Amino acid sequence: MRALQGLRGPRAPSLPLLLLCFLAALRRSLEHGLSTAAPFKSLPVQEEMMTKYSNLSLESHNISVTAAPFTSLPVQEEMMTKSSNLSLESHSISMTEHSNMPVEKNITLERPSNVELICQFTPSGDLNSVNVTWKKGDKLLEGNYLVNATGGILYTQHRVAVINSKQMGSYSCFFGEKKQQRGTFNLKVPEINGQNKPLITYLGDSVVLTCKCQDCLPLNWTWYGGNGSVQVPIGVPVNDKYVISGKHANETRLKITQLSEDDQGTYLCHAIFELGESEGHVKLVVLSYLVPLKVFCAIAAEVVLLVAAILLFEMYTQKKKKPSDDGKEFEQGEQLKLDDSNGIENSGPRHRKNP
Amino acid sequence: MPPPGGTPPPHPPPDGGWGWVVVGAAFISIGFSYAFPKAVTVFFKEIQLLFNTTYSEIAWISSTMLAVMYAGGLGLAFNLQPALTIIGKYFYKKRPVANGLAMAGSPVFLSTLAPFNQYLFNTYGWKGSFMILGGLLLNCCVAGSLMRPVEPKASTESKNKVGVRETDCSMKKRQKKLSVWEEINKYLDFSLFKHRGFLIYLSGNVIMFLGFFAPVIFLAPYAKDKGIDEYSAAFLLSVMAFVDMFARPTVGLIANSKLIRPRIQYFFSFAVMFTGICHLLCALAEDYTSLVVYAVFFGLGFGSVSSVLFETLMDLVGAQRFSSAVGLVTVVECCPVLLGPPLAGKLVDETGQYKYMYLACGAIVVLASVWLLIGNAANYRLLAREKKKSIHTKESQETEPLKTSQSPSVNIKSGKNEEWKGAEVNSSERETNI
Repeated sequence: MRALQGLRGPRAPSLPLLLLCFLAALRRSLEHGLSTAAPFKSLPVQEEMMTKYSNLSLESHNISVTAAPFTSLPVQEEMMTKSSNLSLESHSISMTEHSNMPVEKNITLERPSNVELICQFTPSGDLNSVNVTWKKGDKLLEGNYLVNATGGILYTQHRVAVINSKQMGSYSCFFGEKKQQRGTFNLKVPEINGQNKPLITYLGDSVVLTCKCQDCLPLNWTWYGGNGSVQVPIGVPVNDKYVISGKHANETRLKITQLSEDDQGTYLCHAIFELGESEGHVKLVVLSYLVPLKVFCAIAAEVVLLVAAILLFEMYTQKKKKPSDDGKEFEQGEQLKLDDSNGIENSGPRHRKNP
Repeated sequence: MPPPGGTPPPHPPPDGGWGWVVVGAAFISIGFSYAFPKAVTVFFKEIQLLFNTTYSEIAWISSTMLAVMYAGGLGLAFNLQPALTIIGKYFYKKRPVANGLAMAGSPVFLSTLAPFNQYLFNTYGWKGSFMILGGLLLNCCVAGSLMRPVEPKASTESKNKVGVRETDCSMKKRQKKLSVWEEINKYLDFSLFKHRGFLIYLSGNVIMFLGFFAPVIFLAPYAKDKGIDEYSAAFLLSVMAFVDMFARPTVGLIANSKLIRPRIQYFFSFAVMFTGICHLLCALAEDYTSLVVYAVFFGLGFGSVSSVLFETLMDLVGAQRFSSAVGLVTVVECCPVLLGPPLAGKLVDETGQYKYMYLACGAIVVLASVWLLIGNAANYRLLAREKKKSIHTKESQETEPLKTSQSPSVNIKSGKNEEWKGAEVNSSERETNI
């Protein structure tokens, strides 16, 4: 079709666009019974089309209202294959009318994928009177979501093709007008684990700082270090002091040699994913040997003092005993001599000590 | 009768006075000897992790660590032996209490070193921590300096006279050449292996130690396996150490009482049996409360066994040969102590459950207690018989020497001294004649 061939080019013709918008609006009004939203939005046109096309391609299986004339387009096909090559993840949360706490679910995404967000709501009253809306952050989302009611439970589903970091963030589904129940999906990149406790090292030592990611494979790692707010990338001028290595893709190691006091501080490891960045931190403390040495010297001094005191005390008590001991021994020696010579006359002079 | 190994005649133990200071010194020594290695192994794990990241060569690291452990172990062994021996030199009547108090050093030091080590590691890193811990170990020198040798009492004249005579005789003995075997025997009394009581003690202890330590080591993993969180599991060990701390001196007091002391070997067997039954019942424990109860009772059992462990050995071989005996015992006992936990670990791996390991350990310990009970009952009977025989022979001997005496005064008093020596020699077989 001639008119539609123009879609190949960067210049977007107005007729198919209007048609699309009308169809989108029509579909939505069929679901909600409301006449909604402006056909022209603030989103850049390309992106809008992209999301719509991908949605259209998926939904062509469910609702026969739209999409048939457009599926033959090569551009559409390209975009369709692009989005259908992506894996589909489905996440759901459920709430009741009287749940007090806002329900949240954290979703960790590493690579681009299609994400299906489903909210289930059990109202106490009438199903049909419940108003369903979706928001990304604080912005209201138009179109792109389904509402279904089965067996007293209201289901709403929102599909997002997450391709880059712009699609990450918080998506919330709202039920009701006056008393709104809210469910939130937080789309995040994987977290990086640095080290919780500070690493204690000494001047002149080497240390290895590691950052690990549990089940993810970042595209790239970078290290930043510095004191306070200034973050300086490390390893950019490659030198001996810093060596960045990593055995596996899910971890990175920064080896620092010849530590000095300036190396103290918090180091950040940045992991770069397709869908964004994540960082972990490691705190490094560099001490001088004098610090534990002082404690050691204090203890050693205490030991020396105690031992000296004990030995002096011992010598003092021994001295007290000795003079009396000498006297006694001498006396006994005399007694022995006398006893030995029992019966035999003493010819020699008698040396008796007078006490 | 095995020779005393050329040692001078024993002086009567003071049973008090400076002895209590020596107990305090032994408390410190024993505390460092037992608690230090356990507390330091925690460091080793962290250091190994550190070294794995900084260096790729693992071989020299493990060998360095082993060397440090052996050197440290050797040093601590030199620390432990004298502490135990000197209690035997200073105490006789109150020896169980002294033993109990001194052995209480182990749980006290362990419970204080564990959090202290954590603090040191967080503040100074492993290098600084080792430096400071090494400094603290120097306090063992203080403990050592307090262990004065027992002074001869110069209260009566005749004792010195006899002393002079004895030295004359022993000097003559020394001039006779000793064979190689006798030289070795001076330092390590291998003739103890012919000693009936010693053999019963040794065999019973070897069996006991196979199943004694494994339950302690596996208590925390067992608790975690039951779904209990890490901190509560660690708390179980603290409970055990706390009960142990108080059990040791208390049991020492009980063992010193008139009722128990003559039958201290039976008391030891019952303490071992109590611990074995604790292990058996632990297999029934399902929730946290029952595990806490087990920890309390196990602390009690562990404390009572440790408290009288060396006291019973002293009771069997006498203070004279105690140092050789304790050396031999520790050398032989290190085999089951080393083999026990790995075997238990294998059992857990094979069966997949901790329950069977506890049952097995409990059964082994109960078996050891039964063996000790029977063995010591037989030993007591045989000793009583031997004592009767020796009294008869002594009565016939004592009529002679009185005729050949040189002076009446000397002989009466030397008679008294010989009685003491005789009692000592007799009680080297069984020291419970109170």
